[in-house]
Amino acid sequence: MGSEQLRKPPAAAIKLVTGRPVSLYATSVLRIGYGLLYLVFLLREFPHRHEIWGPGSPWTPTLAAQLFDQTGWYSFLLLSDSRAYFELCYGVALMTSTLFMLGWRTRATSIAFAVVVTSFHARSIFMTDGGDNLVLLMSLYLVLTACGRRWSLDARRERRTADRTAGAATRSKSLSPTMRQLRDARVTLTTVVHNCGVFIIAAQVCFLYGSAGLYKVQGSYWADGTALHYVLHLELFQPWPELSHLLDQYPLAIAAIGYLTVLTQVAFPFVLFGRLKYPVLVLLLGMHAGIAVLLGLPVFSGAMIIADAVFLPDRFYSSLPRLGRRTARRLGVRLPRPRGEAGGGAVPPQARPETLGSNLR
Amino acid sequence: MKARWAVSSRIEQADVQEREQSDSEPPRKIRGGSGAAGPRLVGVRVLKAALHTTVFLCLTATLAHVVLVFFHVAPPNPVSRRYSQHIDAWVYPLFEQNWRLFAPNPDSVNRQVLARTANAGPQGAMQVSPWFDLSAVDSEAVEHQAFPSHTAQNLLRRAWATYTETHGKDDTARTERAVMIQKYLNNIAADRITEHRDDSGHDIDFIQLRVITLPVAAPGSNAADRPPKPVENRLLPWWKVTSHGK
Repeated sequence: MGSEQLRKPPAAAIKLVTGRPVSLYATSVLRIGYGLLYLVFLLREFPHRHEIWGPGSPWTPTLAAQLFDQTGWYSFLLLSDSRAYFELCYGVALMTSTLFMLGWRTRATSIAFAVVVTSFHARSIFMTDGGDNLVLLMSLYLVLTACGRRWSLDARRERRTADRTAGAATRSKSLSPTMRQLRDARVTLTTVVHNCGVFIIAAQVCFLYGSAGLYKVQGSYWADGTALHYVLHLELFQPWPELSHLLDQYPLAIAAIGYLTVLTQVAFPFVLFGRLKYPVLVLLLGMHAGIAVLLGLPVFSGAMIIADAVFLPDRFYSSLPRLGRRTARRLGVRLPRPRGEAGGGAVPPQARPETLGSNLR
Repeated sequence: MKARWAVSSRIEQADVQEREQSDSEPPRKIRGGSGAAGPRLVGVRVLKAALHTTVFLCLTATLAHVVLVFFHVAPPNPVSRRYSQHIDAWVYPLFEQNWRLFAPNPDSVNRQVLARTANAGPQGAMQVSPWFDLSAVDSEAVEHQAFPSHTAQNLLRRAWATYTETHGKDDTARTERAVMIQKYLNNIAADRITEHRDDSGHDIDFIQLRVITLPVAAPGSNAADRPPKPVENRLLPWWKVTSHGK
C-alpha cells in the first residue's frame, strides 16, 4: 500500500477503505435492531425456553453434542446439564442482548453477543429458520464493525469525558511520537476492519435477496402467480385465518404481489447504486411487514428489515432527530428541549458524510 | 449557554480527530522519513509494514469470504463443484445460508402428525391408545397469535422435514444422522403426549407416528369447500420410548 505503483491508481480506493469508517449510523442501527430483536425473541420464548434450549429439550444435550462432533459447532449451553446452569445462561443471554442494544463497551459486548447467539442457535439448530440464520450471521459480522460509535452508551460516555476534560486534542499532542504512531495505526486498523465488516454485511444482504429471488424463479408456483395462494393456506403460517382467506379471494392481487416479490428480490443487488434503491427498500419494508402480520413471522421479518437498514446513508439517520423535532413542532407537540448532546451529536456527521458519504455509497 | 459551548467544542474535536484519521498517511510518511533518528525510524518502518500487512490480510479475508459465500449460494457451477469441499469447509457451520423460505416452491401441503402410544397392561397384553393429533397443538398455538413461538412453527415441522430428508421413503435409519433424528422425533412426540394427555401418570413404553399429508387445493377449483383428500398416509413403525431426563 505504501509502494509507489500501488499508490497512484487505487489511491481513492485505499482512502475509501482506510480513510474513514463508513455507515457508522447504519451499523449502530443494526446493533440496536438485532440486540432488541434477540432480546424480544428470548423473552417471547420464555415459557418455552426449556423446550428449545434447556437440558430437557427433545433435542437432548446428548444429541446436540453428537451433532456438534459431526459439524464442528460449539455451544456453551452444553457445558452442563443442570437446570440452574441453563437458567444462568438464559439470564446472561438477556443481559448481553440488552447491553449490546444499548452499546455499552460495544466491542466486548458485541463479541459476547455473537457467542450467545451462536450458542443458542447451535443448541436449537433444528428449530431455527431463515430469520435466526440472518441474526446469527449479523451478530458475527457486527463484531467487525464499530457499531457503538453512534446512539450508544459508549458514545455518551465519550462525549461526557470529552466535555469534562475539554482537551483531548491537547492531550494527544503531548503523546510521544511512538505512542502517536501506535494510536494512528490502531485507528487505521479499526477503520479498515469496520469497512470490511460493512462491505460483508452489504454483500450478505445482496446474496440473501439475490438467491431467494433466483430460487423462486425456478419454482412453478411463483411462475404462474399462485405461490402466495399456497402460502396463505399453510396452517402453521396462518395466525389470522380470516385475513388469509380474505386475501385469497383476490387471485389477481396475489399474482401481482408474487411477481413483485420475485422481481424485487432479484433486482435488489442491482439497484443499490442508484436512487432506485429507495423505492425498492420501501417495497421490501412493506413486503416484510406483510409477512410479519399475515404469516406470523415477526422475528424473520424483523431480521430482514433491520438488515435493509444498512443501505440507508448516514445523512439520512443523522437528519432523523432534527426531522422528528420539526414534525413535533409542526404538530404542536412540545418536546422536552433536546439535551446538549442530543442536538450536538447530530451536527458533526452532517458536514462530512454529505460530502464524502454520498459518493461512497 | 454552557451546553452550547460544549457542543461547539465537541464539533471541533470531532473534526480534528477525523482529519487526523483521514490525512494520517502523508504527514506520517514525512515525519518518519526525515525527523526520526535510527532506532525509531526502524520502529516506525516495522510498524508501518505490520499495519500494511494486516490491512492487506483484512481485505483478502473479506474478499475470500464474500467469494466463498457467493459460490455457496450460487447454483451449482464448475467452480463450486470443483471447490465444493473448500467452500463447505468455510461456510459450515457458522456462515450457513438458508434462504429457501417458500422457494423454489412454497409447500402446497399441510401435514398432520398423529401419535399413539402402547403400554404393557397388567396381564402383559399391549394397551394401545387412540391417535393424538400433535399438529393440532401447533395450529392452535399459532391461531390468533401475533407472535407464534418457534416451538409451534418450527419444532415439529422441521423435525419431520429432516426425518424425510434423512430417511427417504422407508423408515429404517441407515445413517447416524437418521438415528438421531428418529430419536428427536420420538422425544417430541412422547413429550407432547405426556404434556397434553390426561393419563400422564404412567410412562409410555412404545410410540407410533402417522403422518397424513393434505394438499392445499389449487386456486380457482371449488375443492376448497370439500375437505381435502390425503395424498399420503404414512404409518411409521412402533418405536421404544426411553425417557430423556425430563
